[in-house]
Amino acid sequence: MKLARTAILAVASVSFGSAVVLHAQDNSGEPEMSELERRLDVDSVLFNATINEEPDDDLLEQGRLVAMGSSENGGSGMACITCHGVDGQGDGSAAFPRLDGQAGWYLYKQLEDYASGARPNRVMSGIAERLTEGEREAVAAYYAAMPTGDLDNAHGSIDGNQLQWGGQLASVGSAEKGIPACVNCHGAQGTGLPPSVPYLAGQYAGYMELQLELWSEGTRDNDAMDVMSTIAEKMSEEDMRAVAEYYARVTNPETGGEQSDTDYDMPAAE
Amino acid sequence: MATQLPKTDVVIVGAGWTGLAAAKELADAGQRCVVIERGDWRHDASNFGAPEEHDELKYARRKEHMIDTPTKTLSFRNNADQTALPMRRLGSFLPGKGLGGAGIHWNGQLWRPLPSDLEMRSHYADRYGEDILKGMNVQDWGMTYDELEPHFDFFDRVCGTSGVAGNLNGETQDGGNPFEGPRSSDYPNPPMKASPPLQMFRDTAEQMGYNPFHMPSANVTRAYENAYGAQLHPCTYCGFCERFGCGYFAKADPIVCIYDVVKDHENFELRMNSQVLRVEKSEDGKTATGVTYVDENGREVFQPADTVCLNAYALWNVHLMLVSGLGTPYDPETGEGTVGRNYAYQTIAAASVFFDENVWSNPFMGAGALGMTIDDFNGDNFDHSDLGFVGGGYISANQTNGRPINYHPTPPDTPKWGAEWKQAVRENYLHHVGIVCHGSSVAVPQNYLDLDPTYKDAYGQPLLRMTFDFPENDRKMSAYVLSKAEEIARNMDNVRAVSTVNRAAEGEKYSIVPYQTTHNTGGAVIGSDPKTSVVNRYGQMWDHHNVFVFGACLFPQNLGYNPTGPLMGLAYWTLDHMKNDYLQNPRPLMDA
Repeated sequence: MKLARTAILAVASVSFGSAVVLHAQDNSGEPEMSELERRLDVDSVLFNATINEEPDDDLLEQGRLVAMGSSENGGSGMACITCHGVDGQGDGSAAFPRLDGQAGWYLYKQLEDYASGARPNRVMSGIAERLTEGEREAVAAYYAAMPTGDLDNAHGSIDGNQLQWGGQLASVGSAEKGIPACVNCHGAQGTGLPPSVPYLAGQYAGYMELQLELWSEGTRDNDAMDVMSTIAEKMSEEDMRAVAEYYARVTNPETGGEQSDTDYDMPAAE
Repeated sequence: MATQLPKTDVVIVGAGWTGLAAAKELADAGQRCVVIERGDWRHDASNFGAPEEHDELKYARRKEHMIDTPTKTLSFRNNADQTALPMRRLGSFLPGKGLGGAGIHWNGQLWRPLPSDLEMRSHYADRYGEDILKGMNVQDWGMTYDELEPHFDFFDRVCGTSGVAGNLNGETQDGGNPFEGPRSSDYPNPPMKASPPLQMFRDTAEQMGYNPFHMPSANVTRAYENAYGAQLHPCTYCGFCERFGCGYFAKADPIVCIYDVVKDHENFELRMNSQVLRVEKSEDGKTATGVTYVDENGREVFQPADTVCLNAYALWNVHLMLVSGLGTPYDPETGEGTVGRNYAYQTIAAASVFFDENVWSNPFMGAGALGMTIDDFNGDNFDHSDLGFVGGGYISANQTNGRPINYHPTPPDTPKWGAEWKQAVRENYLHHVGIVCHGSSVAVPQNYLDLDPTYKDAYGQPLLRMTFDFPENDRKMSAYVLSKAEEIARNMDNVRAVSTVNRAAEGEKYSIVPYQTTHNTGGAVIGSDPKTSVVNRYGQMWDHHNVFVFGACLFPQNLGYNPTGPLMGLAYWTLDHMKNDYLQNPRPLMDA
């Protein structure tokens, strides 16, 4: 498990590490997103992601500083830990997802997108804009390296039949509605497919439901090729809630969740 | 005694690409359609999702989406002096079964024929004289490219095809295939990404004076609403196209593109797990009255219909005609009769390119139609004057997959097993690309389909018997095109080794065992002369005017292209004439 996580992290440091310069904040130029997009347009980069280098301690230490609210030039002006917690566990308000153990590259790209406006968010855009590219990378690596296990407040209450429907959408989708299964891309256990596909297992239900709504209405469209919008558009509010509540209950080994083969206790519906 | 059901307007045999297209178009035209499919119901969302679908052993090796040979197969021999034996395992080609047919496990390589392909006999005779076609049953298709173009164009918008147009309304476009016929509109979607080996192939081919372009692809490159209003999603380059269904809704297939928009139509009914045994004829033999099939409970059922559409796989359409006594069987002794005549296959050859460690191919990032192609040696795009053969093929660097069981390319002279082999696999897996030569095949009198005198299938019907070997023409052509591919391979940078394989090599018999291509064609060909074709130029049987035939069995000889695009163009052409002419006044649409 440790090895796997190292690989996830390393994507952030390798794909972008070579171009990272820890310079003073300069908001006068183009948003850094343009650089990311430029690289994504180079086919040889897309087909040549290397994931076998170790993240280094300096990067993680800088990430910790950013998370605590500082780094060069006073950091972002707001500490990540204020809302997402020291351990990256967020809260159940639907606005603050857990970040711990999430794919590093995914977290980094979200910060880039917040900064550029590709993922509109009043709070996060201002924060991300004030971070340097290096700081975004560092704090992404920091939270990616910090799996903290299962949370007991990730899910809300839902009717048992609805929960089962959520599980069905997750595992086989819906032929009637033309909804592909979540497991196609987010993995058999909802653990994501690093570097670019985030985990769902153990994430807050409220947050996931909100994101599906944002995709459905077109507010969020920053995933590769906008796959999620086409999927979310086919989902009803009940579908979104059902699948979000389902994944919130799934144990995620990537975040350090413990799963026993012999004594698996399926969280009961409420 | 078969149970007789109430009569329907149209009965359609097979729920693949052409069958579902026929059902959609005819149901919209007010015809009550019953579609009969031998296999199971299935759907992209619930049946083809990763990670379960990405089971190479189950689907690519054990071929779970394909026909099962104990139930349905054919017998095979290389020539009429041999005794044919049943094909007990799938090998050289992979017919599908179940909703969507072989359209589920295709790669999505979506081509159009060249204008000269459709008028092959006239074209070659004009340019080189009749003699160049001596000993061959090469024929014109009976219609022109311009007549089919609107239907190719429509199918492009059903699939959301991606690519770069080479000829837009007669104007040559940069980056496309300069040899293609004129397109009335651009590709609906932009081309796929090009991996490093594909970029290298493009650069090298360009330097050699050829005209490389992105292979036309039905692996959709962005969210797309198709001509019927179905929603396709972008391809993720997962590398599981051929032999697999696509759970991402990203490879255009008959379920996502057509079935989902016709399934609730009041004129549409689908019967699964039902094996059609024969088409029944009227007493005077001039029309069909319906089809008899074995339903999912094993009962024999007769479904009467005003119109019968044959939409099974190319070989099975011919089989159905032969066991039903439709048309006149081909007799290779006299050359008379047409059903089973002009069966053709395709020539497949390839160059394997092994790069040094500076070129990363990362083959696991692939897609069925991810390719960089040249068409300079296809059809009659090059001068055949002194070559001694007709036809040709495209040459394409393809990155379709890097799956663990089957994909372990090793350079020439590597041992077949052991430590050295393992070492070679490790060194080459990430530094390799295949360049395929996908070649045409001409029809000749000695290659044909008929009924086997000895072997029967699970329903007690004689097996279809295939008699085939590559014509000398095709062997020469394949060697020639492969030599061009090898030249490109050797001219690429950072190449350590190149190996080649030719399935139609001179001096070797065609083998039905190793996989080559599922592109079987002919046996019920289209044309304008009843002596040399089973159906007239509209796809209507000369001998039974209410039977319409679809699919690659119509091809008079095989193209140097994958058949789905051409056969769907023909399907929409036939449906157009059914809807706008035949159904108002059922009769032979051409005088015999």
